Amino acid sequence: MAAVRQLGPEELARRATALNRLTDLAGPSGDAPRSIYDPLPVLLTASEFLGLEAAIRQRARLLGLVLEDLYGPQGLLRRGEIPPALVLGQSRFLRGLHTSAPLAAPRLSLYAADLIRTPDNQFRLLRDHAGAISGLGHALSLRRLAAGTLPEIFPAGGLRSLRPAREMLVDHLYREAGGRLVAVLSASTASRSSPEAIDEALLARSLGLLLIEPGDLATRNGGLLMKTLSGLLPIATLIRGISGIDLDPLEQGGRSARGVPGAFGALRAGVLTMWNAPGTALVEAAELLPFLDRLCEPLLGEGPLLLRATEEDRALASQAPFVDNQVIASAPIGFRLFAWNDGEEWRVLPGGLGLPLEAPGPEGPSLGLKDVWVLESEEDFYIVGPPPVEPPELGPFLAAAHLPSRLADNLFWLGRSVERLEAACRLLMLALPRLESGTSLPRDIAERTLLIHCLARAKLLSPDMAGSTVSGRLLRQSLARGQLIGGLVKEVGRLVNVSSERLSPSMLATVRFALRQAADSLPNEETALPMLLSFAATFAGIAAENMSRDGGWLFLEMGRRLERGEAMAESLAILFDAPPERLEPGMALSIELADSVLSYDLRHAGILSPGPVLSMVLADLFNPRSLAFQCAALRACLEGLGADDDAETVHQLQREVTNLVGVASGLGEPLQEAAARLRLLSDRMHRRFFALLPEAHSLEESEVRDPAP
Amino acid sequence: MTLYRLHHTTVYDYTEAAVVLGTHFLHLLPRERPGQTVLAARLDISPIPDSRRDEVDHFGNLTTTVSITGAHREFRVVMSATVELSQPALPSATPPWEEIAARSLNDVDLVEFCLPSALATPDGEIAAYAAGSFPPGRPIREALLDLNGRLHADMTYEPGATGSSTTASQAFAGRRGVCQDYAHLMLACLRALGLPARYVSGYLRTQPPPGQDKLRGADQSHAWISAWAGPEAGWIDLDPTNRLLVRDEHVTLAWGRDFHDVSPLRGIIVGGGSHTVRVQVDLDPLLLPL
Repeated sequence: MAAVRQLGPEELARRATALNRLTDLAGPSGDAPRSIYDPLPVLLTASEFLGLEAAIRQRARLLGLVLEDLYGPQGLLRRGEIPPALVLGQSRFLRGLHTSAPLAAPRLSLYAADLIRTPDNQFRLLRDHAGAISGLGHALSLRRLAAGTLPEIFPAGGLRSLRPAREMLVDHLYREAGGRLVAVLSASTASRSSPEAIDEALLARSLGLLLIEPGDLATRNGGLLMKTLSGLLPIATLIRGISGIDLDPLEQGGRSARGVPGAFGALRAGVLTMWNAPGTALVEAAELLPFLDRLCEPLLGEGPLLLRATEEDRALASQAPFVDNQVIASAPIGFRLFAWNDGEEWRVLPGGLGLPLEAPGPEGPSLGLKDVWVLESEEDFYIVGPPPVEPPELGPFLAAAHLPSRLADNLFWLGRSVERLEAACRLLMLALPRLESGTSLPRDIAERTLLIHCLARAKLLSPDMAGSTVSGRLLRQSLARGQLIGGLVKEVGRLVNVSSERLSPSMLATVRFALRQAADSLPNEETALPMLLSFAATFAGIAAENMSRDGGWLFLEMGRRLERGEAMAESLAILFDAPPERLEPGMALSIELADSVLSYDLRHAGILSPGPVLSMVLADLFNPRSLAFQCAALRACLEGLGADDDAETVHQLQREVTNLVGVASGLGEPLQEAAARLRLLSDRMHRRFFALLPEAHSLEESEVRDPAP
Repeated sequence: MTLYRLHHTTVYDYTEAAVVLGTHFLHLLPRERPGQTVLAARLDISPIPDSRRDEVDHFGNLTTTVSITGAHREFRVVMSATVELSQPALPSATPPWEEIAARSLNDVDLVEFCLPSALATPDGEIAAYAAGSFPPGRPIREALLDLNGRLHADMTYEPGATGSSTTASQAFAGRRGVCQDYAHLMLACLRALGLPARYVSGYLRTQPPPGQDKLRGADQSHAWISAWAGPEAGWIDLDPTNRLLVRDEHVTLAWGRDFHDVSPLRGIIVGGGSHTVRVQVDLDPLLLPL
């Protein structure tokens, strides 16, 4: 606390902002709700934790046993220990998972309890979490994030680390999975600004698991498979972030896109495990609570270690300091502690989340979640992590292979749309001053005509304007009407968000910052264009320097190269579609469009001649904007993904493009042809990598049609 | 005692485009019950599924989950069964209905059939209508038969007026529907009184018009209800669509709280455009050598 006092409220508020900005980056969404976290931790002593650990293990065991009974023999209902109507009348009781034999794994594998501390230093149970558990992702990530923003408060020692526990959890998950995949199932990773979605993303990241959504899954042969680039890979375990009600549209009806058809059957057959099994939220039902409390003695042979909080307990719950807008305010605090079942016993995470208990008003700033620190005792025993497990033998392109098709698709389009944005800006920067000048020199007129055609090709002008004279003002008006650049910026922003789980936090931060700056300047084209170009350069630079060259990068790169190659081929087809004696305006523009003026001037003293120009924009493998360069880069990516036939196709195209250098005239047609072949390649890649399976839909149920009475 | 041979063929035609992956969940094998013995039953599915799982569900019904990988333009399920039906002995006396209602709420095997379900939830109007058949102290059997008769009289049988997701309230508001709606409505009436009753899906033997041969495949799926009439009488099946007390002409397939629990064939498919469904049912008594 001394360290906190030393910092002072203003500095603390700044640190809190910094911490929450980190969340923003660590989390998947660009517009995450602010103030998720409070930087000040809440403490549990070693002896407090020891008591809570036993109490939580007891509670988890109790709920686990109750669930196994209610979804199995139902002795508790038959003996009247729980009134049958309370269970069978619940929509949370999922009949599809009522089985005669237990499932392959315990139905309750993850459990969390919300607790409060009373004035006499006792802990009372506020709420059980037995369905989709929320908060574990935050609990596992918060300390790491806070350590960077508020290092002063971290003691040199004496704090229980979360790491051994986390490693044991990961080890258990992988051991049980036996080589198949383990993933966190989130409702939809496309709209991810909710705290739950951020929590799921953080959980996946902190446990090193895949984050997937129902659309990534397919049922085959009674098992559950994930659609990846290398085909369908079997899933062993899903940490369930979505409700069990309506999870399986095959058995429960409902829309197929929202759930996982066949999930119940796979669970019953023991080929799939879910943490937790659907239907476990049943024991959270308020009506059941009084009965659950009474079951401790008969089921476990011992009295409950954790009593339920009364209204009075709630009113007197202990308080903790929260950083609230430059002041430190006290507010009642709850503790959420997490436990998991490793098949033999329940293990409790030596940490957790501190929850502000008073729901903030809609106007007021919300108080954040806190890290729970468990202090070590003098003679502490440590949880010893498992011996390090050798990582499984990975295939050469396993990282690429395990990329969900949805993500590969998003990254591909991100690459394409950034490139499209850049090309549009480059073309506009070239065109605006020329169209504005309005001189009547024949060369200027020729340039303007060519540019208008290029603008129409890039859909920056409507095709019916392509044949007419377009002034700079008209172009601006047309742009403002169509909001094309704004639309492209939005699309890039969307794709950054949906691809964020494969972009590193620092990359995300930089990209978002640059994009935000560019977007802010948008209404004014003059300033926006250079800003947008600078964004594109930032993006390209950071992708080149910060992304590992596995699956994710390959798709981003292919998207860029295909888009650039296609646009380049089409523009050059327009610029070079002239007899040799009138090629000069087109040649000059092509060098500018390819951002190669300097290189050209240095090499050829600025003298425009078809041979060197074509060589530079078509065949030069050292010019990153030449057509051959795009082909070579695409080929390398395709080879990296094992798509050797497509790689060969693009290699062939590269040879043909290179051969065009010697052709004096009539380049329009072969260049159009090259663009068409790149489009074809894009379609092929779609079929090959992304469109593994179209979306499933429900079959109309066969109706009962009875004989006429 | 009557022996029946039963054939139920369902064919989905995907004429527009082939289906590449189909997963289906079926309630299409007949279960046993007092008075019904299944001597043989099989499901033939084409194309041959890659995986098939036969299970027993929460209600004790037989379910089959199949998955078919590989392009197909037709999905065909043929159920063939030989079933023996005996005429249940009609109970001479049954307890007053209030006694049944009072006992059922704490009975794990009955309670869920007393509670509202998605398609059979009573509303005020249904409750008021039901009360007409249940004056205080009336024996349950008598009351059930009375309600069965009233429903038959007050509802109009009209195919097409309702769909597979029509609720009891909707059917009652329009006073029309098919067997499924009659059943849901009767269930809602009984549940309004706290009486346990379940939805039964199955088949009814039909008689050809006098002097004519029976047409092949003319029989259809059917639905009726089963109500609990106390430990002595057990479950009594009533068919409000035909104003019948079920005897030995109804073959039971499955039961649940309402149609949702026993939908004969659900599927999630990938690919395929619009499709058509053909259903053909034959239920024929077998002549036994004496």
